[in-house]
Amino acid sequence: MKLGLTLGGIAAAAVLATAAQADKLDDIIASGTLRCAVTLDFPPMGMRDASNNPIGFDVDYCNDLAAALGVTAEIVDTPFPERIPALMSGRVDVGVASTSDTLERAKTVGFSIPYYAFENAVVANDKVEMTDWEGMKGKTVGATAGTYEAIWLEGQVKAWGEGEFRPYQTQADVFLALSQGQLDATVSTVEVAEANVKSGNFPGIRIVDKAPMVPDYVALFAMRNEYGLINYLDLFVNQQVRTGRYAELYKKWIGDGEPADLSIPGVYR
Amino acid sequence: MFDTALSAADLWFLTKGAGMTILVTAVSVVFGTVLGIIFGVFRYQLGPIWAAPVTFVLDVSRSIPLLIQLVLANAFLGTVLRLQMTGFTVACMVLTLYTAAYCAEIVRGGIDAVPLNTRRAARSLGMSWGQDMRYIVMPLATRVALPSWIGLALGVMKDSALVYVVQVVELMKSTQILITRLQEPLFLLCICGLFYFVISFPLARFGGYLEKRWSND
Amino acid sequence: MFGYTFQWKQALSKLPQMLDGALVTMEIALLSMAIGIALAVLLTLFRLSGNRALNGFAVTWVEIARNTPALFQIYMAHFGVASFGIHFSPFTSLLIGITFNNAGYLAENFRGALKAIPETQTRAGRSLGMTPLQAFGYIVMPQMLRIAFLPMTNQMVWAILMTSLGVTVGLNVDLYGVTQDLNALTFRTFELFAIAGVIFYLITKVIQLGARLVAARLFRY
Repeated sequence: MKLGLTLGGIAAAAVLATAAQADKLDDIIASGTLRCAVTLDFPPMGMRDASNNPIGFDVDYCNDLAAALGVTAEIVDTPFPERIPALMSGRVDVGVASTSDTLERAKTVGFSIPYYAFENAVVANDKVEMTDWEGMKGKTVGATAGTYEAIWLEGQVKAWGEGEFRPYQTQADVFLALSQGQLDATVSTVEVAEANVKSGNFPGIRIVDKAPMVPDYVALFAMRNEYGLINYLDLFVNQQVRTGRYAELYKKWIGDGEPADLSIPGVYR
Repeated sequence: MFDTALSAADLWFLTKGAGMTILVTAVSVVFGTVLGIIFGVFRYQLGPIWAAPVTFVLDVSRSIPLLIQLVLANAFLGTVLRLQMTGFTVACMVLTLYTAAYCAEIVRGGIDAVPLNTRRAARSLGMSWGQDMRYIVMPLATRVALPSWIGLALGVMKDSALVYVVQVVELMKSTQILITRLQEPLFLLCICGLFYFVISFPLARFGGYLEKRWSND
Repeated sequence: MFGYTFQWKQALSKLPQMLDGALVTMEIALLSMAIGIALAVLLTLFRLSGNRALNGFAVTWVEIARNTPALFQIYMAHFGVASFGIHFSPFTSLLIGITFNNAGYLAENFRGALKAIPETQTRAGRSLGMTPLQAFGYIVMPQMLRIAFLPMTNQMVWAILMTSLGVTVGLNVDLYGVTQDLNALTFRTFELFAIAGVIFYLITKVIQLGARLVAARLFRY
């Protein structure tokens, strides 16, 4: 009798202990939905189709991740400055939002290995004389607030000591301002620049030069302490490349050519 | 005049945004008014010293940009307390408090406008405090307060354009989404402005009419 | 208790930058109020003029300013008018947007204030040989501004609060813009915006107190 009670107590404690150990990965699988933060004004990574439904590289990537987990994906449209707050407030489970894995951000959230790498281009208004990236000196330039390229560009403007930097809230506002001639030039990822020039939505803009920046490696992110989930994300990114799905998505959304190399020679991780 | 790529589906998208604007406004104004009346009467009865904590909270709500209130509430409820709240809930909570803050002032002004002699007369007729409030103060104060209250409700509707920061897709945000895709800023902004105007203008005029009709002179 | 670690030290180290932003915020609000009052007086004159075109212009201005969101007006001042090839810097766009809004609301306040001033005063002024403009400027306007002083104070507070909308047109030197920039770098959202909130609160209190002092000095009966 006494033994039974003790055993029962141990069993109960064990059940409680396991319950307490259920982590985010378990929660996602149990809830049946994966909520991804995706930025939908960042073509071709995230955008909307004619009936205003989300599409793009990041949207597909989230769908793949959900499929791997055996759950349904829910795309939560999240502007760039809101990505990390959205995760911290528990509104989303992971970020699939072309997020640069900066050390400053890693103080707040946990990053997977890079799943994509951008090169950045300088895009200028047709009316502005500019032959290379240094032509931006002294001009009015802008980029999307809080992005990798915005931080770089603002630093450049400060270093040049002339010209003006304007951060807009969305990528679309930046290109709108550029097309209207309110900005002389902007720096954006080559993918976004090409998609926007090609779409014809923004008349009067052209790609001038590559920006001399370290490639912008972007990663998936989750809560900093959710190692189980981050481990899973790492393996998922690896599998996407291994199975050729990465190249397939590249071809579908960005076009022909070699997808960016995600490994960094000479160093681990 | 306009050669536009705007489709019927997009117009429906905008209408849904306008619906969200009205929904957020309606919820906030209803709850905010109830709270505002409670706070207003509370303040009037207790006097400035005892009501100081409530006064302070309401004053803060009127002295800090709504944008910051929304960001802070969102960060506090979500990031700090880890409550799983939708942006809609956060938006409604903040706007409710915001409405209550202004409404309490209107209610206080309304009660103040009722001549004290009238109320004393009521009490001397043997009416209780509740009866005095219900049959004397309420009808008279409403006349003074209603036009301002209509102004407040419309103000809340216009200020609800800011709830985009907590990811609520209302009229202004829907417009921005469409501008992103269609790149016709002026045309789309005109439609958006027209939507607001059509909702706001008739009500504002009605408020002005009531004010004119009910004024004593 | 909270699943969140506050980093106040990191956020407070940015205080000097935020105070610089607060100065810009006050500058925009003061400018928009000064120009807004002048425009509102002009709009009031238009309404009194009896000229249908001028009256129509004033009424249109006031109704648009009062019946659409300030965010819409500012966004329009930047991206809307740029469709006509007119470009304003973020600072100017915000200033125009807030001034437009201020002028509309103040003109309506002035109209209310005018009702309290008996028309016989204008007639008395006219019979002393004043022109209509003189009668307005010397007799009616001073009383109008006095009656509308409290609504003007409120509008000034709103002007301060409206500067926070500058971020939507790319402004990053005002208090809200600075805070958001810092937030993008460090993600201490709660701490940074709480500090910004306190600064905004203090600014509005200073304005209300200042207005009370001014009123006490100017309007002694």
